[in-house]
This record gives sequence, structure tokens and C-alpha cells, in this order.
Amino acid sequence: MATNIRPVMCPNCGAQIKKTGYCSACHMHINVLRKAYNTSDYYFNIGLDKAKARDLSGAIESLNQSLRYNKKNIMTRNLLGLIYYEMGEVVMALSHWVMSVNYQNSNNLASKYLKLLRQDPAQLEGVDQIAKKFNMALGYAESSDYDLAIIQIKAILGSNPHFVKGYLLLALLYIQVNNYEKARTTLRRVLKIDKANPLAIHYLHEMGDTDENIIQMRNESVENDGLFEDAYMEEVSVAEANSKPVSDSPIRRLLATIEDRYKKMTVKTGEFGEMRFAHYSGIYVMVGLVLGILLLFFVVVPAQKRNLRKENVNLTKQYSEEIASKNAEIAALQEEVASVQSQLDDILYSHDSTDNPLPDYSNIEHGLSEDDINMIVQSE
Amino acid sequence: MIVFEEELKRFQPIPEVDQAEEAIYNNDLRDISDIVAQVTAELKGASMDAQLAGRIRR
Repeated sequence: MATNIRPVMCPNCGAQIKKTGYCSACHMHINVLRKAYNTSDYYFNIGLDKAKARDLSGAIESLNQSLRYNKKNIMTRNLLGLIYYEMGEVVMALSHWVMSVNYQNSNNLASKYLKLLRQDPAQLEGVDQIAKKFNMALGYAESSDYDLAIIQIKAILGSNPHFVKGYLLLALLYIQVNNYEKARTTLRRVLKIDKANPLAIHYLHEMGDTDENIIQMRNESVENDGLFEDAYMEEVSVAEANSKPVSDSPIRRLLATIEDRYKKMTVKTGEFGEMRFAHYSGIYVMVGLVLGILLLFFVVVPAQKRNLRKENVNLTKQYSEEIASKNAEIAALQEEVASVQSQLDDILYSHDSTDNPLPDYSNIEHGLSEDDINMIVQSE
Repeated sequence: MIVFEEELKRFQPIPEVDQAEEAIYNNDLRDISDIVAQVTAELKGASMDAQLAGRIRR
């Protein structure tokens, strides 16, 4: 009885494998290829585990390693694209999905992703804008225009809150302008998306944070952390006004289903705080200014005038009292002068009128009168 | 110590959508099978050269 043995096909080129184990077309040994593909799958599994643990940077590294063993590994390509998409790098995601579809056209999840992206041209436009703005911010940072770079990056992050590269650049800019608190807040958001991002950890270590602090940081909530609530708000809101939020896009919905499929998103990221009232901040400032001016004219200035008037009255009263007291003193002194004068007049008058005239000192010689000399002689 | 200029070098411009094609071409890396194929081709070329040299000597 004849048995039909199915020929072994080369996984690399699809040609038949010879009995020797070598491919008839590409001349590669089947065992080498099997070993390479097994190693590729091994790295894919590591990458998948890391992605499940939300160590996205580590996952990218493992998945790239997987592609070095088998660049046609569809699962690796799709997952890598998905991770890049999650980190806000849509063009990178696109390139991996396109490659994936190129290697396997049918029954490929990547074609579904690409179809969804094509259905949403606004999102593609948004992605393009983000890339342009990021590159512009990079240019500003290089030319030391830190404030402009910060405004630009914040505008990007407002419309794409998962853009890890943007957060990292923002943190670096904050470190450069010595705003370490904001830098920490920014890096905390990075760690929420990518738990072991080496650059974020490097920056935190440089700012003096210990490993314990970093672990604690991962568990802290990023809701209402105030990252967008500062002087740049107005500029950011203006920049945001024309952009469309991506949270409700079909690709986001698809991601949710993919998350279930891969069972990879075990760590949920928090919803980031939004700037709801930013659009009206200019009006609030104007109203505040007008109220302030009115308060100044109707309350502060009259009160100040009243105080000045009262002070004036008090001063007048005080000086009047002083003048009165001085006048009284002058009158008393004048009276005293008059009494002394009258006493002197009395003395002079009484001396002229008495019979006992004052001793005659006209003949005094050497300071003693004649009577004094006589008295001295008598006493001796 | 963070040196801003040095750190900034780590950030490369990200490709825009119209540069996606270029990104895809750059993405086409070489895997083990490409390297083995290249080595095999080189060996094959070398052996053919050796055979040719042997024939010429004869």
C-alpha cells in the first residue's frame, strides 16, 4: 500500500525541503529556521509578559529581539505596533502593521487596525500635527526657547495624553528650568504608562529620588496632579481648540477589544485631568480686573480719604493745644518778670529813702574798707 | 548630573505621516534567515570560484 507523505515546505521561502533538510530554493537548513523561529517566539512571549506588566520599554526591546530572529513574526509585529500606538507613536505603529500585512495579508489583526485608521482621517491628521509640533518643540529646546517648547509640548499632551516621548521631553525641560516638582509630576505620568521607562527612572534618580520613591510614585494617582494648571494654560487651550480628542475614536475602541484578546492590559492607567475651564480663563481675568478697579475707586480710595481727613483734624487739634499751652507759659513768664521788676524797684526805692545809707566803698584800697581794717585790728 | 544638551540628543524627531513610507522601508530589518542566506550565497560563490580555479589549473 502506497503512502502519501506530505512534502515539508520551507517556512522562509515556501519551497520544498530536500531529504537532506536543506531548502531547494534558499538552501537553508530547516533546523536552523525552526530554531530561529522558536527563539523568536520565546522573545515574543517575554515581550508579551512585559507588556502585560506595563513595562512597555522592556516589551519593545524583547519584541525587537524577537524580530531579529524572525522578522516575519506576525504576532510580534502586531504587538509592537500596538505598544507604539499606546505610547503615542502612531507612525511607528503604522509601519509595523503595514509590514505585518505585507507578510500575511489574510487573517491578520493588523489589517483591521489599518482599516480603522484609514476610516478616521481626522485622527491621522491629528497624528501628523502631533509629530510636527513635537519636532518644533524639539527645535525650540535646542535653541534654548524653553518656554515655547513647554507650551508646544503641553499642547501635544493635551490631545494625546499617552505620548511618552512628549512627557519625557517636558520633564527634561522642567529640569532645565529648575522646576523639579513639575518634572516629577510629568515623570509620574510616564511611569503610569510605561512602568519601567529607563529614561524616566534615570531622571528621577538624578533628581535624588530613591527606588522606593519611584515604586511609590507608580501607585500614586495622576488625576488632578495640576500638570496643566499653570501660566501656560491659556496658550494650551488655544492650541487645543482646533484639535479633536482621540479618546472616543474607533481605534481606541478597538484597543479595548485587543486588550481583552491579548489579556495584556492588566494595569489600568488613570484618566488624566482635563482643562475644562481653560477656554474662559481670558474672560475671567478681564472680569477680575474690572472688579478690582471698581473696588479700588469705590471702597479703597474713599476710605483712604476719610483717614487722611481725620488725621488732619487730629493734627490741627494737637497744634492748637500746643499753641495755647505755650501762650499760657509766656503769660506766666511775663508775670514773673513783672513781679521781679517791681521787687527791684521796691528795693531801690527803699534804699533811697532810708537814713542808714550803704557803706561808702569809695576809699577802698586793696579790697578792704577802713572799717574792716579797724575791726581786724580790734580783734587781734 | 543631567546635562541638558547631552540628554536632548536622545530625542530624535518623530516621523510625520508623509514620512511613514520611509519609516516602513527603514523598518525592514535583517533577521537570522537573511544572514544565513547571505552567508550561504557567499559560500556558494566562494566554492564556485574554487571549482573554476581548479579547472583552470587542470
